Amino acid sequence: MLRARTICCTLVLLLVLTIPAFAETTVRIWFADTAEPVMRVVRESIVPEFEKANPDIKLKVEFIPWGELSPKLLTAFAGGVAPDVFMHGQAATAGFAAASQIEPLDDYIAQWSAANDFGPTLNSGEYMGKKYLVPLYGSANLLIYRTDFYEEAGLDPKLPPTNWEELASAGQKLAIKKGDRLVREGIDLASSGTNAQQTWTTFLWQNGGSLFSDDYAKAAFNDAKGVETLEFYTGLMDGNIADHQQAEAVGSLPPLAAGTVAMQFAGTEILGNFKTYAPDKYPFVKVGVPLEQQEKAAWYSFAGLFLSRQSTNKDAAWKAIEHLTCKASLEQIIQAVGGLPPRVSMQNASFIQEDGNLVMFLKGMEAARFNPNIPQWTKVRDILARHIERAAFGVSTPEEALSEAAAEVNRIL
Amino acid sequence: MSVRSTDPYRRLNPTAIPYLFILPVILFTVFFKFIPIGVSLLLSFTEYDMLSSPRWVGIANYAYLLSDNDLFWTSLKNTAQYSLEVLPANIAISLLLAILVNQELKGVAFFRTVFYLPVVTSIIAVSMIWMWIYNYQVGLLNSILGLFGLGPFDWLRNPKLALHSLAIMRVWKGVGWNMVIYLAGLQGIPRYIYEAATIDGASAWTQFRRLTWPLLRPVTYYIIVMGLISTFQSFGEIYAMTQGGPLDSTTTLGYLVYQQAFQYWEMGKASATAFILFGVIFALSIAQNKFVSAEMN
Repeated sequence: MLRARTICCTLVLLLVLTIPAFAETTVRIWFADTAEPVMRVVRESIVPEFEKANPDIKLKVEFIPWGELSPKLLTAFAGGVAPDVFMHGQAATAGFAAASQIEPLDDYIAQWSAANDFGPTLNSGEYMGKKYLVPLYGSANLLIYRTDFYEEAGLDPKLPPTNWEELASAGQKLAIKKGDRLVREGIDLASSGTNAQQTWTTFLWQNGGSLFSDDYAKAAFNDAKGVETLEFYTGLMDGNIADHQQAEAVGSLPPLAAGTVAMQFAGTEILGNFKTYAPDKYPFVKVGVPLEQQEKAAWYSFAGLFLSRQSTNKDAAWKAIEHLTCKASLEQIIQAVGGLPPRVSMQNASFIQEDGNLVMFLKGMEAARFNPNIPQWTKVRDILARHIERAAFGVSTPEEALSEAAAEVNRIL
Repeated sequence: MSVRSTDPYRRLNPTAIPYLFILPVILFTVFFKFIPIGVSLLLSFTEYDMLSSPRWVGIANYAYLLSDNDLFWTSLKNTAQYSLEVLPANIAISLLLAILVNQELKGVAFFRTVFYLPVVTSIIAVSMIWMWIYNYQVGLLNSILGLFGLGPFDWLRNPKLALHSLAIMRVWKGVGWNMVIYLAGLQGIPRYIYEAATIDGASAWTQFRRLTWPLLRPVTYYIIVMGLISTFQSFGEIYAMTQGGPLDSTTTLGYLVYQQAFQYWEMGKASATAFILFGVIFALSIAQNKFVSAEMN
């Protein structure tokens, strides 16, 4: 009798103890950043705050390096074990949306009081009229230069280039050659990879060109404006202003900090790099204005959070998205990353207004242009990058490179 | 009336017992090797982006790769060139090191460990160090060459140099492994053979040419086969150091498989490329086997 009673009590106790475990919902989040400051604020501040306010929801955050994000996500989706929420760049929207792997957020956004504060950045993850992304932070590709090198070359650091001619002229004056070799590039330009596509496309937009026809059915970058843009771009890499290869970082130091280049196109991340690894050089770093040839344009992009269609806890996952993108969380994340705030009300935050370079990045948003959201984008991007590289190395003429790229792109559109 | 044994082990067929012992390995091989390889073979006949269901396309992926895909042929050429640069240098240096560390000298164990260290170091960590060494403007190699009035050379960003630079790094990384295998081979050669040769008046070079090298032939064959498999599948150093560039000059088949699968979401084409790679390695291994068998006979 006593034994039966003991067993019964143990079972009841076990049941009582396991009730909270059953009642608790776990939301898995993949955060695409492994920088220590970011991981620290998310782990030590943002997640505990959320779990305190929502005791029935537990956040399980994993930090994935950007370079490994796509392979991991693809295999996770294919294996049916995708996280509830994941971070990615806006360019990923179309691919995942076309494959029906992410959830449209329009219904949630319609009832969200903070939605208006995001302004147009909330459209950065829009595909076929539906919104899939809540932005966390933005970046851009603006001209950044060293004021000490400007003064040394007899240039006024308060007057950065505003068009292509001024850019080439400043680059010429800033470059330092030793024999046949550039020991300091006047301007550093990318000739391969995603950087080449982003920088060249910015020049294309400035020249009044566009990547695609209006209906996205055909490549448009191979017209006369495109050829003229690539001729100018590769012309800068003549060995007198720039090399035909992007400068290498010296350990953790960006080339601009190492002094091997005088100007380069870069995003907000470089400011964070300077502050961490070369704080003594940061006072000599300035962000320029978007260049204007036919139009004023600069490449911008936002990274944000997507809700997986495989998630079985969509409402809890949305609560997590709301918390991660609330002003308090965003302030911590953006300060750790060094990115641009997606919320209008954050633009006057003291940590932004106190840094003239971040203010310049925000001002540049008036001329912001984004990569298109089409499912074939990553392939198009890589085709363009490959042919820009061929032109930069003189394997093809700019006209040949763009014609071949357009033919390849038209086959997959 | 027969009495049935109550001991379950006695009821087992004695010939089945060994299979029970190897069952875990068999299960592992079937579930983690054979089934994935079989699925991959099936996928090579499909169009599959990993997010939607695969679509059967027959041999279209193979036809696409073998007929009108320049990048595939460039990658195959790069892979073959990479193997041909790495393997002979690796064999020569590792044999030389093995002979050196086979001497009965003081402190030889220390050198054996030092030569083996790169093998146990992560390929990504090694790649990071070599990126510094190869850096165009502030790299160690260009600084040393500069002392002799040479260079600077753009080791990783010049399409004519990049693959060779990777090959040098790969030789450095791999010699320790082959050194250990050669060392085992050298220590397996009976001492009396050398004593007899010495009595016959054979010089050290003749002993190496007529005794050591022929007796190490099975070891060399093993090293060549394993080296071919390993270099044909090279990925880590390319991913970390050059990403296949510049101008696709370092894109190998292993890296192409990664690009197709995870950058372009073309798992069908990636699987087809992987099976062509398998076919190439298989054919080379068979050819080598026949060549070595004929030589030994």
